[in-house]
Amino acid sequence: MKTTKSITELLFTLLIISTLITACGEENPPPVNEEELITTLTLTFTDSANTGNVITATFRDTDGDGGNAPTQFDTIRLEAGKTYFTEITLLDESKTPAENISDEVLEEANEHQFFFHASGANLTITYEDLDTNSPPLPIGLSTKWVTGAASNGTTQVILKHQPDVKNGTEAPGETDVELDFITEIQ
Amino acid sequence: MLFRYFIFCAIMYYAATVNVAAQCNATMSGKVIDEHDQQPLPYASIYIKELGKGATSDSLGNYSIHNLCDGIYTIICSHLGCEDVEKTVTISGNTLQDFFPEHHSEMLQETVVSVEILKPKLIMPTQSFGLISGKDLEATRGKTLGEALKNVVGVNSLQTGTSVSKPIIHGMHSNRVLILNNGVRQEGQQWGSEHAPEIDPFVAGSLIVVKGANLLRYGSDAIGGVIIVDPSPISDSTGIGGQVNIVGFSNGRQGVLSAILEGRFKKLPALSWRVQGTGKMAGNTKTPDYYMKNTGVNELNFSTEANYKTGKWGATIFYSRFNTKLGIFSASHIGNLTDLQVAFESPVPLEMADFTYKIDRPSQHITHDLVKASAYVNAGNSGYFRFVIARQNNIRSEFDKDAPLNDSLAALNKPALLFKINTYTTDLSWDKYFGNDISLSIGINGITQGNQYEGRFFIPNFRGYGTGAFAVARRDGDKLQVEAGIRYDLKWMTVYKWENNVIISPEYQFNNYAASVGGAYRITSKLDFKLNAATAWRPPAVNELFSDGLHHGAASVEVGDRTLKPERAYNFTASLNLERTKKFSGEVSAYYNYISDFIYLAPVQPATLTIKGAFPTFHYKQTNATFKGVDAGFDWNIFKGLHLISKGSILRARNVSADEYLVMMPADRFENTLNYKFADSKKVKATYVALTMLNVLKQWRVPANSDYVAPPEGYTLFGIDAGTEFPMGKQKLSVGVGVNNLLNRVYRDYLNRFRYFSDEAGINVSIRLNYSF
Repeated sequence: MKTTKSITELLFTLLIISTLITACGEENPPPVNEEELITTLTLTFTDSANTGNVITATFRDTDGDGGNAPTQFDTIRLEAGKTYFTEITLLDESKTPAENISDEVLEEANEHQFFFHASGANLTITYEDLDTNSPPLPIGLSTKWVTGAASNGTTQVILKHQPDVKNGTEAPGETDVELDFITEIQ
Repeated sequence: MLFRYFIFCAIMYYAATVNVAAQCNATMSGKVIDEHDQQPLPYASIYIKELGKGATSDSLGNYSIHNLCDGIYTIICSHLGCEDVEKTVTISGNTLQDFFPEHHSEMLQETVVSVEILKPKLIMPTQSFGLISGKDLEATRGKTLGEALKNVVGVNSLQTGTSVSKPIIHGMHSNRVLILNNGVRQEGQQWGSEHAPEIDPFVAGSLIVVKGANLLRYGSDAIGGVIIVDPSPISDSTGIGGQVNIVGFSNGRQGVLSAILEGRFKKLPALSWRVQGTGKMAGNTKTPDYYMKNTGVNELNFSTEANYKTGKWGATIFYSRFNTKLGIFSASHIGNLTDLQVAFESPVPLEMADFTYKIDRPSQHITHDLVKASAYVNAGNSGYFRFVIARQNNIRSEFDKDAPLNDSLAALNKPALLFKINTYTTDLSWDKYFGNDISLSIGINGITQGNQYEGRFFIPNFRGYGTGAFAVARRDGDKLQVEAGIRYDLKWMTVYKWENNVIISPEYQFNNYAASVGGAYRITSKLDFKLNAATAWRPPAVNELFSDGLHHGAASVEVGDRTLKPERAYNFTASLNLERTKKFSGEVSAYYNYISDFIYLAPVQPATLTIKGAFPTFHYKQTNATFKGVDAGFDWNIFKGLHLISKGSILRARNVSADEYLVMMPADRFENTLNYKFADSKKVKATYVALTMLNVLKQWRVPANSDYVAPPEGYTLFGIDAGTEFPMGKQKLSVGVGVNNLLNRVYRDYLNRFRYFSDEAGINVSIRLNYSF
């Protein structure tokens, strides 16, 4: 009986010791959004007839997908019967300072392409830049927007990441951006 | 003295309940029945040739031989006036083996022995379970654990492509299914539906699936069931032995090599050791029409153990490492819902590839280390003590399809998500027999766990502690076996998470009881009836409380709820076993599972707006759910060596509160096998050819608006498997050939998360070689 008692004591001690083992590090989670995000897209329209006439439209969701809702989603307001040269800026504003993602896209232009779909609004969009694929394919960071008569609708802006599969069409690859801007041509 | 010896036997006997046959305490038992008139034969002798020991059948023809090590033995059954029956029996855990000696007659036919029914009867005499061992296990060699377990009726698998396969028991998986790997709770990131169990199936000497919430020894949270993966015990003969398995599959040009080397010292037979390793390499899987890009697997696993065992005490140390790198099918990685729709509507995947072994992004890399030390003390009248302590370290890295755009970030080649979870578990139990037939088992378990992540947030860091105590009592009668148990658990968890630029650390505490009661009644010598009722509970897991983000590949936003309560299951199972007749054996079991506060993902409006578009959003919610179903299986010996083996499982799972079906539940499934067993000769043994037809019906019982596309059609698949054994003295060579999806059918399965993107694998020819020495 004595041995039983000592066995029991030994085992209980081991049990208690083993449950008290504590690892460390859980208390310090990594900073939020360490990874790369696209939080902000800005369209900058420059009137071809008057370069002082600049219009912008921005989508902004600084904490990335999910979490808090986007804080800014502008309407595109353009004048009828004009031609605009348009630049797209992508930012990661979850970091300080904000990181310019459009530069990275330009660097990997052969794997990326923007696509635009205007519906309702009287609008024609053409590419103004090309990558170094052969034959060269459009990128879409620089585009030309020609507005027609006054109208309302939406403009869809899509960025596809198409490593090794870029062929000028929208189907392959993974969608990095897909935004439906409300568009008013006045 | 005799009494003491009896106690010792009883305890050793009972020890099998603690660790399934990991010690030399298996029991072979059964009945000796006259071949002609089916009457029991008293006073027949059953003798194990290799061990030189045996037993005599009692007045009812029953016999039992205790304290056997698992292995293959030659058994001679003799009875006055009968021809001796010589039979090779595989003992794995507690084994039932009947003998049918024939009274001497002029027309001596081959001696007929009933179908071997291997049953670890003592683990759970009253419960519904399935076992894969021996030849059945051999036929699954090379497959993943999830695939192998599908041979148990009522078990399905949740697939992510072909390489990730998670077992589903009666419609429940992940946190609701417990896997006991070598007697230790498997702890990794098991909440994830695309996280397969980190276990090398070649370590297993047997696989047991306990269905329902009845196993109280290891925790209360396994409300779906428990899967027990146990190595076979080391042979009790001295010297060195082992086996080599070589498996090749045509699909994916997969090769698997696994070897075991084990030994026992001549001068110190109490000391034994084993070393085991497995290497696996597979390239892109081929569907009937195309290769699936980036679906290769590399696996390199290793385990070793040393045992010291005597009648008084023993100790074991075990170490295993599981290491896998697997490609995730490229075309399954999508940016948003439009991509998903385009991928689904495309007749072929949007990204194609030829065959290659190369594994690219997206991929998973997982290592799982287990160190276990266990000891037992047989204190005679004071009972049998057992202590286990284990440490598991699980590291899971998931690489996204695309490296970061930023070159310096990309150069680091860091995973997009990394989880590190460390788990310590301890178990202490005490088992004692009171008199002839009453036994009691009492024990406590402890667990402590720490989780850390790096990269993208999906689940937070946390630290958890848990402790539980159980008591299980059993009475083993001739006709009636009864078991009742109760368990109480306390669990704590502290979560560490950034929120609005400060670290918050909410604390959770849960405590509750689980209980189980069951009985098995022998109606006739060939018919058993089992009835079981159990209740268990499961606290919400960390992903259910805290996940918040976009689930890549599923194109949905999953949001946890910090106020979830534990869920409670009430489980009732009734089963009828018709067994141990020469011509027919079978089991039908019906179950009813009521889960209050069942945690599930419910679709919510509105969709979440992101820069990638709007995503369907799911929140973790609670409801009351029922799982009702029937599992049935039988083996009918049509004539001579020809058997028809049929299995079927049907499940109806409903969300009672919302009055609709539950999502992602297995469809009705039926499998019929015609198996012809050839008579053994001196040169070849255990030769068989089997043709299998599998029918899986369409799962139309789904809730509205819970999925992007309708469930796929049902399908019928054919398969062939054949095997034989060449005994060569003490050595043995087994050869097997199999063909899966024989007709190269194009189909998709509802339980495969890649059903949106790709067909299932096409024809797959496999060759298995097993050499044991």
